[in-house]
Amino acid sequence: MNRRTAIKQLMIVAGGLALLPSCRGSVGEASIALENIQISAAEEAFLGDLVDAIIPETDSPGAKSLNLHLFVLKMLDDCHSPEDQQLVISALKKNADANSPTAIEAFLKESAYVEALAIIKRRTIQGYLNSEYVMKNKLKYELIPGRYLGEVKVQA
Amino acid sequence: MANLNADAQARSYDAIVIGSGISGGWAAKELTEKGLKTLVLERGRDVQHIKDYPTTNLYPWEFEHRGEMPYAVQQANPIINRCYAFHEDAAHFFVKDQEHPYVQEKPFDWIRGYQVGGKSLLWARQTQRWSDLDFTGPARDGFAVDWPIRYADIAPWYDHVERFAGIAGNKDGLPELPDGEFLPAYPLNIVEKYFQQSVAKNFPQRKVISARCAHLSKPNQIHIDQGRVQCQNRTLCQRGCPFGGYFSSNSSTLPWAAKTGNLTVRPHSIVESIIYDDEKGKAVGVRVIDNETKDAIDFYARVIFVNAAALNTNLILLNSKSKRFPEGLGNDSGVLGKYVAFHNYSARISAEYEGYADFKTEGRNPAGGGYIPRFRNLHSQETDYLRGYAAGFSAYRPSNSDKAGLGKSLKESLLNPKLGRWQVGSHMMGETIPKESGTVSLDRSLKDAWGVPQLKIAVAYDENDEKMKKDYIATMTDMFTQAGFTNIQANVSSQAPGLDIHEMGGARMGLDPKTSILNKWNQVHSCPNVFVTDGASMTSTATQNPSLTYMAFAARAVDYAVQEMKKGNL
Repeated sequence: MNRRTAIKQLMIVAGGLALLPSCRGSVGEASIALENIQISAAEEAFLGDLVDAIIPETDSPGAKSLNLHLFVLKMLDDCHSPEDQQLVISALKKNADANSPTAIEAFLKESAYVEALAIIKRRTIQGYLNSEYVMKNKLKYELIPGRYLGEVKVQA
Repeated sequence: MANLNADAQARSYDAIVIGSGISGGWAAKELTEKGLKTLVLERGRDVQHIKDYPTTNLYPWEFEHRGEMPYAVQQANPIINRCYAFHEDAAHFFVKDQEHPYVQEKPFDWIRGYQVGGKSLLWARQTQRWSDLDFTGPARDGFAVDWPIRYADIAPWYDHVERFAGIAGNKDGLPELPDGEFLPAYPLNIVEKYFQQSVAKNFPQRKVISARCAHLSKPNQIHIDQGRVQCQNRTLCQRGCPFGGYFSSNSSTLPWAAKTGNLTVRPHSIVESIIYDDEKGKAVGVRVIDNETKDAIDFYARVIFVNAAALNTNLILLNSKSKRFPEGLGNDSGVLGKYVAFHNYSARISAEYEGYADFKTEGRNPAGGGYIPRFRNLHSQETDYLRGYAAGFSAYRPSNSDKAGLGKSLKESLLNPKLGRWQVGSHMMGETIPKESGTVSLDRSLKDAWGVPQLKIAVAYDENDEKMKKDYIATMTDMFTQAGFTNIQANVSSQAPGLDIHEMGGARMGLDPKTSILNKWNQVHSCPNVFVTDGASMTSTATQNPSLTYMAFAARAVDYAVQEMKKGNL
């Protein structure tokens, strides 16, 4: 096995993007390396269920199997203000142990989590629509269109 | 001593070009083609065509943050973060705020690209010729000084650079926007065409045309000879284009110059000053600080082209002090660093159109859509402000999905986006009036990491700009209303000058050495072996995107310089 393959196998793929796994390696920590936020394995698992409730598995992959909970964490870690991070992390912390389907239902309806949910939902949708799976199989992205047509009749 | 001389000999060239961006690339191409051993000094790192475009073929999901700049980077770089193109795919081509500080006496967003190719990698690629209505502007309206040239002087050089660079456009037959040597234009889409017709009917003096741009819509042999092929409509240009679909120094002029065998490009070379020899009475070379060794090194040449980009060209000239020129090279008049102006981009307007619901577009348009040439005060003064504005105009049909809800219904709607209403938009590109108060100068105490004084910028909007902006919004609202557009939203931004990335002037051309720095050949009046052919040379700003004019000035000035060298005058 060459070095590149070895490194690849050490990466976690989230929506088509390779993420570095956490180096801490201890059980109970998040599975990807994070710089600014801290999250436990239980909180990560809850987030996984949550993103799957937002975009569930059907005849096509849902958010969790596309690892979009890890994408949400990555974006929260790097692209949000400390205030946003606090908001989401504290919401996750309060629910880390309650990972039953009813707990997810309750979280989605709880008014105290509206802002945290908005961030999680926005990032989940972003990760989904920009995932390798969706961009290759569902809403195809053209890297090289090779054309511009200015008046195309819409098919009824 | 012999060694020292040999060493100096090794650092001697026929010509030195300071800067490898859009105008420096052209100077280098023309000089090397005419047989001159040419050294191009570039302060940034090397960027080789294709090889050094690391993001060019990445898919959206391959970007760590899907294109978004991380929070900490945005916080640390408020200036560059305001630039529309500063995203994960091209951030490596932009100067970060802390790397190269400058002093804002008045707010000014100075957007820079320090690498071989400069901002030619990043530009918006819009290319329109000036007309005599622009060159005669200052004389007619009594501002700045008269341009020392007219359209006839520059027209053949527009032809020359357009043929080589490759400009897509229609021959529209407009006196205010002369036609050129065009490749086929990119089409207006159905709503852009509709607006074109609406404007023609309701406002016969105003025109909506296909935007003219530096893309190979259909390459000619000269482009294929450069190793470039047809633009593939990716509109990912800011990453650098592996097809050479748009014009940049990296894809076009620099490799062409290299093929002559006469080109040396020296990256990591920060120009400290131009060396003036008081005894010889001319400039003899350029002093650089090597960014890697921090050593000062002198290079010598018979002729020097300054193409460091408008404001850095001012900085270099101001910092080139000698007994003969205590206030900066060529600055007998005292106007060096003054009359700096820009383009007023501070208003835009958007709306919707309910018509053409059975049409959409496919692929992507590298030209961006339509262009409305200046129609205000064209042939005589009509408004309560001077000059006028050009405007961009474009229409697109978004594909939207309902993002409300959760679960299966949300997933279903995300995967089945629906065509929304046509969205239309326009932005103003206003001419600003160069004023003595619009200045750049050297800070007395602050220096950069290489010991070069920091640039102090004091450039601002004025009353003329405010009046023009109001008129743009009222006028465009009227044109949109007449076209039946709805939900018209004017957006007046508080963006500082500079974000237009069209800063110009400071070493302006003019007829009179008492009031200008350069003559009609872009040649320093009082130091004839130094030429400035970038934005610093601009006497006024007009409304056109300026790069094409810098290219033409560079080619024309090289032609003149080489003739003068042959005659023994330089």
